[in-house]
Amino acid sequence: MTSPRPAVDVRALHVRFGEVEAVAGVDLVAYAGQATALLGRNGAGKSTTMRVLAGVVPPTSGTARVAGHDVRREPLRVKQSVGYCPDVGGLVPRATPWEHVQLSARLRRLDRTWRTRPVGWEQRARDLLERFELGDVAHRVTAGFSHGMGRRLSVVLAALHEPDVLLLDEPFDGVDPIGVEATLEVVADARARGACVLVSTHLRELAIEACSTVTVLRGGAQVATLPAADMVGEDGARAYRGLLD
Amino acid sequence: MPTAASSTERWPGSGPPRRPGAAARWRAAPADAWHAVVDAGHLVAFRAGTVRSRRVLVALAAAFVALTAAAAVVPAWTPGAGSGEGHSLDVLLLLPTAMAGFLLLALVSAVVSGGGRELLARDPAAVHPVSPTTDHLGALVLAPLNIAWLLQAWTLLGSTAYAVGPGRGGADLAAAQVGMLLWLALATALAQVVAWSLEGLRRLRGGVLAVRLLGLGVLAAGLALQATGRLVPALDRGPTVPVLGGLVGGPGSRWGLTVAGLLVATLLAVALGAVPAHLAVRRHPRDEQGSETAHHEARPLARGPLTALVRTDRASVWRAVPMRRGLLVLAVGPGLVALLGGLRWDTMTVLPGLVASGGALLFGVNAWCLDGRGGRWRESLPVGPATVFDARAWVLAEFLLAASLLTTAIAAVRAGVPSAAELAAITATLAVVTVQVVAAAMRWSLAHPHAVDLRSARATPAPPLGMVGYSTRLAVSTTVTGLVFSGLSRAEGWALPVLCAVPFLAWSSWRLLRTRRRWLDPVERARVVLTVTA
Repeated sequence: MTSPRPAVDVRALHVRFGEVEAVAGVDLVAYAGQATALLGRNGAGKSTTMRVLAGVVPPTSGTARVAGHDVRREPLRVKQSVGYCPDVGGLVPRATPWEHVQLSARLRRLDRTWRTRPVGWEQRARDLLERFELGDVAHRVTAGFSHGMGRRLSVVLAALHEPDVLLLDEPFDGVDPIGVEATLEVVADARARGACVLVSTHLRELAIEACSTVTVLRGGAQVATLPAADMVGEDGARAYRGLLD
Repeated sequence: MPTAASSTERWPGSGPPRRPGAAARWRAAPADAWHAVVDAGHLVAFRAGTVRSRRVLVALAAAFVALTAAAAVVPAWTPGAGSGEGHSLDVLLLLPTAMAGFLLLALVSAVVSGGGRELLARDPAAVHPVSPTTDHLGALVLAPLNIAWLLQAWTLLGSTAYAVGPGRGGADLAAAQVGMLLWLALATALAQVVAWSLEGLRRLRGGVLAVRLLGLGVLAAGLALQATGRLVPALDRGPTVPVLGGLVGGPGSRWGLTVAGLLVATLLAVALGAVPAHLAVRRHPRDEQGSETAHHEARPLARGPLTALVRTDRASVWRAVPMRRGLLVLAVGPGLVALLGGLRWDTMTVLPGLVASGGALLFGVNAWCLDGRGGRWRESLPVGPATVFDARAWVLAEFLLAASLLTTAIAAVRAGVPSAAELAAITATLAVVTVQVVAAAMRWSLAHPHAVDLRSARATPAPPLGMVGYSTRLAVSTTVTGLVFSGLSRAEGWALPVLCAVPFLAWSSWRLLRTRRRWLDPVERARVVLTVTA
């Protein structure tokens, strides 16, 4: 029996910005239908790894394959395959949520690829906006949005096209309980349809709730990958703390 | 058992907490004012510290001093200077109008930027106890860091030097220039008072409409004066005539009184500006808030990726209050000056370059900051980087072209019917300067990206010194282009201006394509995106 092909396969990833090495040798493997949490302190390299997987930042060295595509050689294929919620902002200030949705739909050609689906992309977008309680502000420019509203919309945009790989960077940051619940639903839905999910967060409890596997990064490198169940409760908190120092 | 009264309790025997009375506030005013001055110094030092190279800062400061000194002295020793006849007399007679023009320019600049530029951007400043007085003083300090201000100031100093001449071993020149420097300071401070007052008015209920009506009223009055031939007599009766009279006679009692008057008026204007600054800052900017909470009905899906990107970029530009306001003033201001001055077609070719340069300074020199932090999400979308570049360059080009066309249309009202060569020259100029400015702006956007929040009308897309550098280079290159086509507009037929436009367009297009190739490099692109979204 052969093991399934990983949806995310990162080997010896290094990312350098000038003299700063943001990622120093991360190895990461994640499979379809699996949700993996990236945990670690500030500056551990979580967000930079996510940016590499989203095709926003090229790796300095090492390899990263997303949905079978090399991020360096096939960045457009990678971008077609992922849905990315960036760690900060992520919204064009003078565009409305619906205009964000339209831009994503146009560039992903959802009007053609989703034509035969029972639920069209527009209905899917409306449902997601309603689920995240953004339906009332769908036509309001995002410049006046609160931080939590912006986070929620970023998750909607990442999940809209039902990507093979869903990358959520700090999706719970400053989000109210209803938004957290909706995000957890999005993660569960993605796993159920066979997508690979990566969630980067500082909130250990929510990471455990959303994911089955946890990868801990420290100083730009991976220090452990373990089942999320091992991180539960006081013992899990102590174990996590031990991995951070 | 409580050991101290809570903040909501009253001390036994004390009355309700009271705000400091008017007398107490009056007593504290000198100390507050002094603190504001000291804080402004700290902020200037902080901003100066963010300049990447100290050597560049020193070189720029030295260049500023050297150019100002040269402008104030050298023309006095040119042939005919200070002769009191011919060109020297003409310049002397025009000086009061030039002084009024400087005041008008400072006023427009400060009003358009909602009270002048900010030493510290709104969000970072929010966590610091920066008083509106400090903010006002900072705006005054930054006012000269603007190529329009500098060019006008140097022109005024140079004209004064030529009109007065060296006189009595340079004493007359020194006396006149001291007064002229004070006039520059007074005009800038007065402009700031008016700008803060209008900004306060704009933030009242119905204030936006009131300011627009006021602007239209001033415009109508100016046009009416011009149409009835009373503009020049009105300028002659203005206060700049006696001020100049007091400055050009050399050191003496009249000069002393004039200089003292200018000095006192400047100090009063600087102090007075703090009052409307406080009043304005207490209220929310209504037009910015209106645009940030505006609703826009859904439109049909764009036909293709380029159209979708252009639509998004276009919305980012035209929905921003500072862009709309800036573009309108940039387009209408020079057009009106040309209209009032009766500019002819052969000299009109200078206008499109100046307007396009000004337009690029609204966002074009840091074009990738337009998406704000949304840049990271946009970069994750599956579209080729070349299409992203093309959309941004296209939107910038149409923004600049719209402004230049409006200016040209206004200026053309009194210019009569152009000859074929004049029409070809102005058309070629519009095309050439647009591509020229877009190429330069996109090149700088890639080379020197900055994280900027362009929501505020007071924000600039690059740091102040960078803006001076950009504006100088744009103004020089586009003015030279305008002058070349001005000469070509006197040619026989339309062919020569059109043919001469070809090498200009080819050169700028090649530079634009070179920048586009650099943008395709994922490492370069990541550097820009991460910087502007930081």
